[in-house]
Amino acid sequence: MNVVDALIEMRGITKVYPNGVVANDRVDFTVRAGEIHGLVGENGAGKTTLMKLLYGLEQPTDGAIRLRGRPVEIRNPHVAIDLGIGMVHQNFMLVQNFTVAENIVLGLEPRRRGLVDRPRALEIARELSLRYGLQVAADARIDAIPVGMRQRVEILKALYRGAEILILDEPTAVLTPQETADLFKAVRTLVGQGKTVIFISHKLREMKAVADRVTVMRDGKVMGTLPVAAATEETLAQMMVGRKVLLRVAKPPAKPGRPLLRVDDLRCVTETGHEALRGVSFDVRAGEILGIAGVEGNGQTELVEILTGLRAATGGAVSLDGQVIVNRPPRAVRQAGMSHVPEDRLRNGVATPASVGENLIVDRYFAPPFTRYGWWMEAGAVKQTAEQLMEEFDIRAPDSAVPVRALSGGNMQKVVLARELSRWPKVLVAAQPTRGIDIGATEFAHAQLVRIRDWGAAVLLVSADLSEVMALSDRLAVMHNGEIVAVFDEPQELTEEEVGLYMLGLKRQDEIGSLGPRASR
Amino acid sequence: MNSIEAAAVPAGRAAERERFQRERRRAALAQFVRTISTVGIALGLGFVITLFVSDRPIQAYVALLTGPVSSAARVGTWIEDATTLTMLGLSIAIVFRAQQFSLLAEGQLYLGALVAGIIALKLPVPGLLHLAVAVLGAAAAGFAFGLIPGALKAYYGANEIVSTLMLNVVAVRTYDLLLTYWLKPPSAGYTWSNPFPADAVFARFIEGSRINTALFVAAALVVLTWLLVYKTPIGYELRMVGANLDFARYGGINVRRTIMLSMALAGIPAGLAGAHLAMGVHQRLLLNISLGLAFEGIVVALMAGNHPLIVPLAALLYSYLRIGGDIMERTAAVGSDIVRVIQATIILFITAELLVGVARRRRARREADAAG
Repeated sequence: MNVVDALIEMRGITKVYPNGVVANDRVDFTVRAGEIHGLVGENGAGKTTLMKLLYGLEQPTDGAIRLRGRPVEIRNPHVAIDLGIGMVHQNFMLVQNFTVAENIVLGLEPRRRGLVDRPRALEIARELSLRYGLQVAADARIDAIPVGMRQRVEILKALYRGAEILILDEPTAVLTPQETADLFKAVRTLVGQGKTVIFISHKLREMKAVADRVTVMRDGKVMGTLPVAAATEETLAQMMVGRKVLLRVAKPPAKPGRPLLRVDDLRCVTETGHEALRGVSFDVRAGEILGIAGVEGNGQTELVEILTGLRAATGGAVSLDGQVIVNRPPRAVRQAGMSHVPEDRLRNGVATPASVGENLIVDRYFAPPFTRYGWWMEAGAVKQTAEQLMEEFDIRAPDSAVPVRALSGGNMQKVVLARELSRWPKVLVAAQPTRGIDIGATEFAHAQLVRIRDWGAAVLLVSADLSEVMALSDRLAVMHNGEIVAVFDEPQELTEEEVGLYMLGLKRQDEIGSLGPRASR
Repeated sequence: MNSIEAAAVPAGRAAERERFQRERRRAALAQFVRTISTVGIALGLGFVITLFVSDRPIQAYVALLTGPVSSAARVGTWIEDATTLTMLGLSIAIVFRAQQFSLLAEGQLYLGALVAGIIALKLPVPGLLHLAVAVLGAAAAGFAFGLIPGALKAYYGANEIVSTLMLNVVAVRTYDLLLTYWLKPPSAGYTWSNPFPADAVFARFIEGSRINTALFVAAALVVLTWLLVYKTPIGYELRMVGANLDFARYGGINVRRTIMLSMALAGIPAGLAGAHLAMGVHQRLLLNISLGLAFEGIVVALMAGNHPLIVPLAALLYSYLRIGGDIMERTAAVGSDIVRVIQATIILFITAELLVGVARRRRARREADAAG
């Protein structure tokens, strides 16, 4: 590569954390002016660390950074901003009860007589928005605007501070397909106006769609940088994981049996008076996966919690293989044959201070062989079961006594899957089963869902990852605003854009009943 | 970590496990060494303070350090105090395990003492059975009293710190009331009951020392609490509720029942601490039988990291400082407030060191996460 046109040049970058973790190992990374440079890799591959070094949030243990040919030392984010580097984090850093304009100018407010000049701030926000084609409602409060717009605010914030180089950390993780398309358009506009964009993602398809060149990282090292035109998703995945990866879910056709989970006119009004579910009805049959797609916050969380006994319904009925399970305690629901992979494993899927073994038995500790004579817990039985499940589900931990907090996200999820699938449930409710885990663990989780389906379980899959639900589901329902607005019997024949229209509430099926679960029985 | 290699070589996992276990033993040893050296440094610091406040600092500090073992009687006093603190430390360790911040031990202690006293004085039970019934009564009183804040928290979401502090007052005042108007003989010049009959006291079994048979009760409680926490389904429930309440609920544990039980079970050792004060230390009921001893139990539990088997060691150390401080105050004319400062400095140092260990582990973990 010609060094002359390199805008950012990171050479021999090594970052060792005080606990001995080598996050970056002699990394060379070059970005050209005016390009969209993709940075891909699994969780823990070192992408975010590398960008933190560039943004001054961390200091490299070794190596040098050159900007426009000159060596620079980026001691902190202020220096980075002065150098024209801006970063949009995965978790937005916005003040919730400030307006969009106030957030954009925060810290660099236009002043008049010592006070913040609000009209001027509004003007600035509108100008920026117009110039870069990033549409925002300048006078709306952050907590009142959708996620996609918050992201645009973050980008404008960086641009207002004079960013020439924008680092976007997993920007699409929270967006719907339409919002993603808008973002890509905006990114291209920015590049058209002379900006440079570094785009971190682990979604290879997005890389193909938006990036000019892509750098692949694995285990803290750069595996290579190549023009996107020369790469396929398969080759990128192989570089990321280090072996051949099955990107498409291998799934024999479903052989649905009798309905195991029946949900009838389920309603839920939350503590805050919000009507989260407005009469949801569907069946899930033995041996099929029913997917539920939808923008998060449209009642999916409440639905899952009610089905698994964690929340009370305010109306409607749920039965599991004929047994009524609505408004029953979690243990009763579980004993009726329910398993649950929760959407936020750190909140309730695992107890991080407890050991792997203790985490694996929370649904069965009270029965033999774990508890004998009603009061004595058999440590040997716990250990034996734990080791067996660790083997079977490939949980990478040195010992069953290791606290779960020492495991990676993927291995934590395997702990959850091991516990929930080894019960051989009649119904499995899996919410966001692959959120925040790497490709290898995702592939594993998908295979497990198909395996339990083929064994004869009814699987309800709720996921915000549209490509995931579409690939895995035998039938697909779309939720919007507490209702099911569409049900499709052949999800593989749909496009994401089509489903997106239903997710956003722009379209709904006129007679869901006729296409819906009742008819397909 | 390279995924393919780890999966392909099963021998690798065995080696990894061995390394983990070796690592864990090493870490435990390092922790132990660190704790011991911290005690040393803390004592040194205490001496520096003594230098400033005493004109005979060496004599004063020798009194603090050797006082409790300078005579058989003093050893007895030390062990007796450590017995009470062990029981209270166990009580706190149980509720803290479940991450419930019940401060009811003081009230449970008072009710335990009261019930033991009533049984000793008013219930004619023959022979050894008298002691046994009084002990069981004290344990039951502590247990039952714990159910109240437990139920308030589990069913009405009442903050247990507030409710237990208020209930403590109820217990202490009930004790005062019954003692003053019922148990105190009219002729007594002091607010106390008659001495308990000989079959309803913890016998002293070493000549010239206050060590009594409640020591064995405390020892049994240590083992039973350890069994409860680590070897029973209830202990598992307590620990899981403490580790992550949402996880426990999701897994099917009856969280309400567990919260109630944690506060009630903690009442057993606390009630027995009351029984020990009444039937072992004083052998009668008297006003102000405990002045916040249960709060010293919190320090003991903290020092022991809420581990039942370490609680007696922490209690012995803490009592040693308490008794040594008393002796320093009496023999070397160091004011009691200064003694408290020295004690507090030492304890603060030790607990802080233990907390630093926790913080260090947390930080290492966060950094490992951030390495992503």
